[in-house]
Amino acid sequence: MAVCSTTTLSIGGSVFSGQLRHWEPNESKLFQKPRSRFRWLCLNDLYLLRFRTKTLNFNPSGSLLPSLYAYGKEADDAFLSKVNEDTDEMFDDLMKKYGEVVFRKNDRKSPSAELDDDAESLSFAVEMAKVASDVKAADIRVLFVKPLVYWTRFFIIATAFSRPQIDAIGSRIRDLAEKKYGKIPSGDAKPNSWTLLDFGDVVVHIFLPQQRAFYNLEEFYGNATLVELPSETQPPFHT
Amino acid sequence: MIQPQTHLNVADNSGARELMCIRVIGASNRRYAHIGDVIVAVIKEAVPNTPLERSEVIRAVIVRTRKELKRDNGMIIRYDDNAAVVIDQEGNPKGTRIFGAIARELRQLNFTKIVSLAPEVL
Repeated sequence: MAVCSTTTLSIGGSVFSGQLRHWEPNESKLFQKPRSRFRWLCLNDLYLLRFRTKTLNFNPSGSLLPSLYAYGKEADDAFLSKVNEDTDEMFDDLMKKYGEVVFRKNDRKSPSAELDDDAESLSFAVEMAKVASDVKAADIRVLFVKPLVYWTRFFIIATAFSRPQIDAIGSRIRDLAEKKYGKIPSGDAKPNSWTLLDFGDVVVHIFLPQQRAFYNLEEFYGNATLVELPSETQPPFHT
Repeated sequence: MIQPQTHLNVADNSGARELMCIRVIGASNRRYAHIGDVIVAVIKEAVPNTPLERSEVIRAVIVRTRKELKRDNGMIIRYDDNAAVVIDQEGNPKGTRIFGAIARELRQLNFTKIVSLAPEVL
């Protein structure tokens, strides 16, 4: 393993060093320790040379000059096979300790912040669902789809029975979102048989009954958890 | 880089199997379409007994291209095939499910409906 990694590093040394420097400001604490030990190995060609001389000192045979100037793969292999025990152990230790962590971005949110965001989106979604039920949208479902797709947290699926009603629901939702939360949706501007309002974390789908049965989004997101709505106890109005 | 005469696979269950681009929608004389662009296409091959038929002219959104898609962060996405999703004039997909992976750029281009029907978003 040691032979393999060092040869690739020495061949692509300069390329790799550029990447490493680029990553440095983003690095997390977990990655910092191995980096300090790896730095002389892979930061620069100069450091590589130093590494070689250093390990050669451990080598009793001490053929210093030829391997210093040899850059080819064969030279590396031949020379490294002698000093394997030392580096092998080190690499094995590092692999055991940090092998799983390759690179982690610093901008990842903590679990608590993530939960806060979830709660905020949930309250927003429930509010939107309430507004939709005020305008007599039927069969409103709020789905927590975050475990299934990464690009949003909640789906609101509702049925309206005519295009004017879709328009009414859409404009009410838009108004409230803009007034209370300052969010402006992307998506359909005109009422459509499947009108979609994309608030980022919450996506609202308003269907005509036919389209709702046709696309059958609930079945597609069947594994998502259904959020209970407080106003769901009221009987459907159109019976 | 989809241009007139390019053949595309269909990435949904609308019933069409193969499309041929006949026009790229956008500016006049626009040469190429990329992921998220709308094209006018003709159905070259269709599944029997479906609403869509051979030689019908439809609109489609390109969802996969062999030409690589570059992102601002340096990521490059290249698919193995050129594929499109059939839509109607309002922008609703004609099929009910999308096949294969699609790029998240479609969401920024207001095709969130296609994204929400897709099994995997890159």
